[in-house]
Amino acid sequence: METKKNIQDKVDSTFNALDAMEPVNVSPFFKDKTMQVLFAEKDEKQSVWNWFTPKLQLAALVCIVVLNVVAFSKMETASSYDENLSEFAESYGLVASDNDSSILN
Amino acid sequence: MTENEFIEGLQNRNANAYGKLLDEYQQKVFATCMSFVPNKEDAEDIAQDVFVEVFNSISKFKGNSKLSTWIYRITTNKCLEFIRKRNTKKRFAFLQAITGNDMPLDKTNYFTEMNHPGVILENKEKSETLFFAINQLPDAQKVVFTLHKVDGKSYQEISDIIEKSVSSVESLMFRARKNLQKLLENFYKNEI
Repeated sequence: METKKNIQDKVDSTFNALDAMEPVNVSPFFKDKTMQVLFAEKDEKQSVWNWFTPKLQLAALVCIVVLNVVAFSKMETASSYDENLSEFAESYGLVASDNDSSILN
Repeated sequence: MTENEFIEGLQNRNANAYGKLLDEYQQKVFATCMSFVPNKEDAEDIAQDVFVEVFNSISKFKGNSKLSTWIYRITTNKCLEFIRKRNTKKRFAFLQAITGNDMPLDKTNYFTEMNHPGVILENKEKSETLFFAINQLPDAQKVVFTLHKVDGKSYQEISDIIEKSVSSVESLMFRARKNLQKLLENFYKNEI
């Protein structure tokens, strides 16, 4: 019985130890150190490509794809245009031979 | 300056706003860290991590709770993360402690070296024993007990921080105290 009471007293005094705990002050240079860490990280993040946000990246990708599609289709029409032109020139005898264009003749 | 303007300053990464934030919260955040991790160096490292997290995540702060509550939530999570990491390392090193049930408060198994300058010498042993016992509690009980009894926060503040009702906080506190009583009784029984 005595031991049980003894144990309970010890437990109670252990709980009470918290009340006697004094506040601890943060070290005086904590603010400076933390500010340095925060703004060093900020500088690192503000790299050359920082302005290139995911939205802009997507827009740029769409632009590139559209440009490619347009350029490809233009190229296709350009080649058929050349074919048509040479066909037309041949049928009307407008094809200049090497001799015709020579100054020596 | 209103709180909204202040938060806007933080979101714009304004150095003056962060200076003010640190002036206002460095001591409070550090005190909470010391309550969870009774080692000055470790607590300062965690406090610094808290401000870095605030810096990186302030854009996600929607103002659903008070800024202070949000910062304390980050602090609590950072402390638990630290303790979890350290406990995992220690558990690996002291695998035999899991099988042995005669010493539930194995002081060699604590996650940090006790170095709490606020503990007076005559209470050193008792405070250490209590911190070791708190470390055995489940996370939810550990958070509530530490924030209330060690850090001195009210049930309402804790309820806001952990996003649970005040009655849940009271219930967790009751269970934490009961479990600690059991742990300490066993510890002192084994001591005798």
